[in-house]
Amino acid sequence: MARRRKAKGDPGEVETDMTSMIDVVFLLLIFFMLATKFKMPEGTLRSYLPKNRGESNSRPILSETCRITLMNQGGQVIAWADQSQVPLNEQLESDYEQFTGVAGPDLNFIEDYISGMKSRYVPLDGNGSLPVVIDFAKEVPYKYVIDVLNICARQEIVNIAFAQPEVPLE
Amino acid sequence: MASKRAKKTDYGVEMDMTPMIDIVFLLIVFFMVVTELSVQQAVVILPVASEAKVEEPQPDQVILVVNVSFNKENKQIIQLMNGSPLTPKELEIALKGEVAGHGKFEDNPNNPNGKKLSTLHVTIRCDQGADAGNIHSIFAACQKAGIYQVSCSAINERLEDPYSDQP
Repeated sequence: MARRRKAKGDPGEVETDMTSMIDVVFLLLIFFMLATKFKMPEGTLRSYLPKNRGESNSRPILSETCRITLMNQGGQVIAWADQSQVPLNEQLESDYEQFTGVAGPDLNFIEDYISGMKSRYVPLDGNGSLPVVIDFAKEVPYKYVIDVLNICARQEIVNIAFAQPEVPLE
Repeated sequence: MASKRAKKTDYGVEMDMTPMIDIVFLLIVFFMVVTELSVQQAVVILPVASEAKVEEPQPDQVILVVNVSFNKENKQIIQLMNGSPLTPKELEIALKGEVAGHGKFEDNPNNPNGKKLSTLHVTIRCDQGADAGNIHSIFAACQKAGIYQVSCSAINERLEDPYSDQP
């Protein structure tokens, strides 16, 4: 009996029509595939502020320091590594420079300078590391500050200071 | 003859849709979960720094994000998380409020009798084209609020041109 019914095709048997559901499901799939934008992982460069109130360093600086100065002259970023001026890039290096159309200072020069200073550095107390001061003007794009920080991180410089304009104390 | 052949195919193969639908649903759920439909954070074009480290947050670590971005009028604004634009003075007051609300402090080794240091952590997400002077004011605000753990956000590499949608 059962076999006969199966062979005949039972008129009472319900079959769902999947077609429309699959249409909708594919539509959703394609929507989410196109709408998805994967987030880039963001890293951080750690910096610790002095735990005391910021104070001017009145001690005479006996040991050698390396000072990277960043200035902005009419949209052009000029960098100095101590007394020597950093040459400009011959080509637009980063996406930011391509966007603004202005070449920035040559970061390789700064890196070479810092690594040279680091290799020549003789700490007075025997175990210090080369202090690097990053002195940047207010109008310098943040990118260049991070570039210099990045160079310091790559050269394993741990003694980094930001020159801060004098803030009136409360 | 032709009709006989057509009849034969009626018996024939039926595709089993079940595994396909299983997989398609799985993909939909995956993309639904992964998709960020609303932008959670201010749109900031972070600078590239190859040495930036992606850090796993510690369980008891509370991180405040300070965003420096350009608004629609191309003006630089400082925001605490996704809040309204703040001046440096307002940022300082807001950070002091967060420090008081957080309520966890550690001793100040440099100044044992002085103000204690907050255990809060501040991450600065600054647009790469913004003035670096913003950092000065954020650092100053953090320090006045007693926060000393500050980090600067960057991405390790750029996969696409961030300025492609700008004139």
